Amino acid sequence: MADGARQSRRPPLPLAALLIAAWLVPGLGHLLLRRRARAAVFAAVIVTAFVVGLLLDGELITPKNGDPLSLLAFIAILGNGALFFAARLLDLGQGVVTSPAFEYGKTFLLTSGMMNLLLLLDVHDIVSGRKDW
Amino acid sequence: MLDHLALMSLDALLIAVFFTFLWKRDRRERFRYFWKVFAALLLGAIALGWLMYPFPRG
Repeated sequence: MADGARQSRRPPLPLAALLIAAWLVPGLGHLLLRRRARAAVFAAVIVTAFVVGLLLDGELITPKNGDPLSLLAFIAILGNGALFFAARLLDLGQGVVTSPAFEYGKTFLLTSGMMNLLLLLDVHDIVSGRKDW
Repeated sequence: MLDHLALMSLDALLIAVFFTFLWKRDRRERFRYFWKVFAALLLGAIALGWLMYPFPRG
């Protein structure tokens, strides 16, 4: 699709709603903005990283008393949106500290969350016109 | 599944794909950028591992 046509098209939802959708479902923000190919790639990458993180006994970190860094990690993990809540509901992501893959699992879970948070900035840039593709 | 190099490569692969599609638009540009990021992550981690080798834990 031509850039001009894309630029002239108004976003289908208000920015706040788009950001919430993009946060909850990886790639949905781009899909709603008709960036279908990129939405598919982003969704595949983030969901893969998240699932691998869970399979590797990673932990869905929650804030812990006396550990301020855990709050930052929680924000990153929360970036996974609905994946985080679904995993919590299914009692997944408790983290097996004794597992040799524990640290890797945690890294994958943190990475997927932070990538999804970066997508929110990208959605914002597209809607505000700073990025025309 | 527990091979460190394989897991590190998978992480590097996912991150490289993500940033390639986030920042690059043109197909050629994407190809070059992907390999640059992937190699930097993988080789950087290996280099860092070697640099840390002389320092014992704890």
